[in-house]
Amino acid sequence: MKLLRRDDLHTLTGAYALDAVDGAERDRFEHHLHRCQPCTHEVRGLHETATRLAVAVARQPPPALRERVLTAAAMTRQMPPVTDVGALPQSRHRRRRRVPRLAVAVVAAGMAVVIALGITVAVTRRQLDDARAQQQAVAAVLNSPDATILTHRTSLGGTVTVVVSHSERKVIFTAAGLPSLPHSKVYQLWLLGPPGTRSAGLLPLPTGGRTVPQLASGLARGDSVGVTVEPAGGSPQPTTKPIVDVLVFS
Amino acid sequence: MRAPEPTSGPGGGGGEADLDWLLDRVARGDQAAFETVYDRMAGPVFGLICKVVRDPAQSEEVAQEVLLEVWRSASRFDRSKGNAQTWVMVIAHRRAVDRVRSASAAAHRDQKSAGAVGAASIDEVADEVEASLDRERVRRCLETLTDLQRESVTLAYYGGYTYREVAGLLSVALGTIKTRIRDGLIRMRDCMGVTW
Repeated sequence: MKLLRRDDLHTLTGAYALDAVDGAERDRFEHHLHRCQPCTHEVRGLHETATRLAVAVARQPPPALRERVLTAAAMTRQMPPVTDVGALPQSRHRRRRRVPRLAVAVVAAGMAVVIALGITVAVTRRQLDDARAQQQAVAAVLNSPDATILTHRTSLGGTVTVVVSHSERKVIFTAAGLPSLPHSKVYQLWLLGPPGTRSAGLLPLPTGGRTVPQLASGLARGDSVGVTVEPAGGSPQPTTKPIVDVLVFS
Repeated sequence: MRAPEPTSGPGGGGGEADLDWLLDRVARGDQAAFETVYDRMAGPVFGLICKVVRDPAQSEEVAQEVLLEVWRSASRFDRSKGNAQTWVMVIAHRRAVDRVRSASAAAHRDQKSAGAVGAASIDEVADEVEASLDRERVRRCLETLTDLQRESVTLAYYGGYTYREVAGLLSVALGTIKTRIRDGLIRMRDCMGVTW
């Protein structure tokens, strides 16, 4: 029987999706869920299935409820976006991380807005999908347990903000207040480090003074994130001195 | 087994993408967006809660809590984890279940007999199908389940019972109920063309 424990846990997906598991057993299953991608996927599908069951019994509430809820909402403060980077007890880093966590929350809020704006102006299905994929990737970095945030000034003015996750090997990059460039020039983002200098793409034109978050993957130990000014279209390798160089993985 | 119904897309239509978008607006404090979310979701939320809680006055209280929770925690909605409608309904079901499982409510709860509750749930679904295609599809898909699958799923979801309680009510082994709920839901999922 003991050998079957993992399978037993897995078959709880259905009951769990219907909130039919409680107490310690639910805790155990949720713990398992965090490490079991197929279970997470299955629960998601079963939750959506349950939603259809709910919609099938829809029933209009008394009209007075609408007014009560809307009035209460107008007087209720909303929660900030969650960026709880997990309850992993890494006491060594805990002190150091408290401030960055808060900062990540603030940046995350800003990024969510930027991304949401990006989505509202997207016209094609393809762009929507891209925007969603981008948002998911950004969320994964923001939610990773080791997300840390760094902000640096550039030599041209303005600031860059980088959220780094070593475990995801990714960085999210945004810039604010960079001077605008002539049409013949662009800002290009780089990962600079022992594996070589790799382009992480051209910075999109800022909207409202801020660039859309740019995601760079394949972070390696010793890497910095840098920005250079390049001819329109970008360069295979930097041709000018970086205006900012942030060590992100020491 | 029946062929899955054609669907217009993941989640069953363009309306849901709108709800995702609206929730993003709500997260930024947009009250007009919240009114639209209310108009779209109050029916399913209230209907489900009534199903689980039964008592109309308590159901209304729970529905108010849930809809306010949607306003309050809209920023926690993460579309990479599912669509907005499902996010709302998960909150609604959890709150409803919390209410019926809390000690005071339990005292008032009708737990007379398993068969009666299960049968009533299914009949009520049947009664409520009428116009909507969604309802019709749910009803037809429920019919494709075995009796034990259907009873387990409806007792757990509409009845708000834990699977242990369901096992007790139906006098069936725990392990069997666990798998019947899962198998039944998976069959429902495939029958309704849920594409996760």
